[in-house]
Amino acid sequence: MSSPGPLVETRELVKHFPLHRSLREGLRRGPQRAVHAVDGVSISVDPGKTLGLIGESGSGKTTLGWLIARLYPSTSGQILFEGDEVTRLRGRGLRTWHRNVQMVFQDPIGSLDPRFRVWQIVGEPMRAQEGVHGGALRQRVRELLPTVGLPPDCLDQYPHEFSGGGRQRLSLARALSVNPKLVILDEPTSALDVAVQAQILNRLVALQRERHFAYLLITHNVAAVRYVAHRVAVLYLGQVVEVGAVRDVLERPVHPYTKALLAAVPVPDVRRRKTRYRITGEIPTLIDPPPGCRFAARCPFVIDRCRTEEPLLRELPGRPDRQVSCHRAEEVADVAPELLLTTMAPSGSAPTLEPAGPTAPR
Amino acid sequence: MTEPVLSVEGLSVDYKVGAGTFHAVRDVSFEMFPGRVLGIVGETGCGKSTLGHAIPRLLPEPPAQIVAGKVIFRGVDLIQVPKWKIPMVRGTGIGMIFQEPINSLDPAFRVSFQVAEAIRVRRLRESGRAMMFTGGPTPFDYSKPRPVGTAESVSHPFLPTLPASGGTAAPEPASVPTTGSLTDEVLEYLRLVRINDPETVLRLYPHELSGGMRQRIMISMALSEKPSLLIADEPTSALDVTIQAQVLTLMKELLEEIQTSILFVSHDLGVIAEVADDVGVMYAGRIVELGPVADVFERPRHPYTKALLRSIPNRYQDDGPLPTLPGSVPNLSRLPPGCSFASRCPLARGECTLDPGPALATPLAPPPRRVNASACYFASEVEGLP
Repeated sequence: MSSPGPLVETRELVKHFPLHRSLREGLRRGPQRAVHAVDGVSISVDPGKTLGLIGESGSGKTTLGWLIARLYPSTSGQILFEGDEVTRLRGRGLRTWHRNVQMVFQDPIGSLDPRFRVWQIVGEPMRAQEGVHGGALRQRVRELLPTVGLPPDCLDQYPHEFSGGGRQRLSLARALSVNPKLVILDEPTSALDVAVQAQILNRLVALQRERHFAYLLITHNVAAVRYVAHRVAVLYLGQVVEVGAVRDVLERPVHPYTKALLAAVPVPDVRRRKTRYRITGEIPTLIDPPPGCRFAARCPFVIDRCRTEEPLLRELPGRPDRQVSCHRAEEVADVAPELLLTTMAPSGSAPTLEPAGPTAPR
Repeated sequence: MTEPVLSVEGLSVDYKVGAGTFHAVRDVSFEMFPGRVLGIVGETGCGKSTLGHAIPRLLPEPPAQIVAGKVIFRGVDLIQVPKWKIPMVRGTGIGMIFQEPINSLDPAFRVSFQVAEAIRVRRLRESGRAMMFTGGPTPFDYSKPRPVGTAESVSHPFLPTLPASGGTAAPEPASVPTTGSLTDEVLEYLRLVRINDPETVLRLYPHELSGGMRQRIMISMALSEKPSLLIADEPTSALDVTIQAQVLTLMKELLEEIQTSILFVSHDLGVIAEVADDVGVMYAGRIVELGPVADVFERPRHPYTKALLRSIPNRYQDDGPLPTLPGSVPNLSRLPPGCSFASRCPLARGECTLDPGPALATPLAPPPRRVNASACYFASEVEGLP
């Protein structure tokens, strides 16, 4: 019964968090200021596939995940699930819909109730959605635990008795218990050591093959995305800057931010460290961002147009299945990140596309 | 041969808590040389942070207890220094950068005060009006030689130093320098760590700064003591990748500007590959492999290093499941005799469960001598592992 369209689609999804106004500001009746956490994001996840969302902290990737799971109300925009709009679902309808979308949260300690036993934690969605109780629920949980690599006899243990990886497996088991169509994984491995991270990532991939879950993998870990995801969307300050097939984007990034982000990831390969692509500056504030491209202040290729006109996500000629939001995408597309040493151009100076050569060896 | 800045010999640290004694660091030995970066890498709970904190005696004692070993810094064994003299040791030659910059800065004071405080303490010590720690044959150089005769400091290693009549004594300030009078020097340090617009940053409180800025402030405070050894405990783990890259680049540049050595503790193999000259891989409290970073990463000679490197998802690697390690890290309070990696090791044989493996035979030395030492009897077979 798989529909040809995407499983989940967002259209121009926006989430603003209004700032608290002081009494004085309120009396002045100035405009309400807001944090533009997600600002017009259109992405889609195909059934049985994984979309990776990468970006730094403050890029809005977690907020986007929460919006899609309907844990936050959106400010504007639409969320379509199998073609039906779910943005306005409430009450019973929302509750029934929730069995389609489950979430694994970032913090494996905070997301598990310390007073609940394993069978209660993992069984809670089944109890809420299907009304399973008591012995039947315990039996269901017992059958479920081996699928995430936990021993079935740990039913009566508490979360604190598990290691970080074990807790994340519990969280995963809870999410999978009602057979959702989409699992939102919010930084599932960022609290884990590399060896444990590899185990969890392997399990995620195996589960997807067996049971055809779609994943929305939210992470800052580029390597994990490369391994798990089929497509990837790069977020910067609440907006998608680049979308495409994962290997294509990670190996031939077009947007200057994607290039910079990928080049900044430390790779455990000592031969690669001689070449660096540097972006200066830090993530600007999300409170009432200025017009134009959000990356303009840090971008080495910035031109005047970037500061006034907001680039739209568009297809690139000659690159099917790739969308980039950059005015100069065609020009910068082939600039290899490894060949550039860029520093922030002083404002007003003419931008150049001259490769500056690798950094001097240390 | 160059003298080591720091030499750690057979250091063992235990934590005595209700549940038992946890052997967090066991028989660790290494030497650090001027201008070089030693990376310590390992998983959570391998003892790498304990090691980093044990060197400047920052561990709470108890529950921590340094049960054996020597930490020789400038000719003095820091382990032998009595507890009440420890504050005199801190900030004299060993700088420290911690993981969470927001926890290491005082939220109630402005940046200018906090950086100036570090400078003020150094000034007071230089002028002899604060108790300071001298000792050993090498004087504590605050970029200039100490105004103390070497023989004197050997005979009275822990006495407060007075501005001696002989030698190149620093000009004594009239009074305790105030934050205001130190502004120029504070600005200089803020510029050193590439902070844009330092005049504005001076007046800010830590919560008004971003994570990358806070970590730069921490680095500038550590550098204001003019340390010859900097211990950085996961300094970039709380930062985003682009900011992390900036801080790492900064640290590498500073390494050349101010001659110092860095002990860089991290769980991130990528970061270690980026900054370190030498690397020590820790597992269950021991350093299992120690050597130049290129050799350790490209031709590991301990099965644990090999397994750790293989389990990283790499964006340059082909498909197929990620290789994983069977089993889990042993409990540090009930360590088995023999090699603690034996239960997970593909090369393990009978003797591995009896004997903890060969001692790391070849200590680090400055170039050109380059070999990586492995605490494994079958180091030569590691290369053949998948």
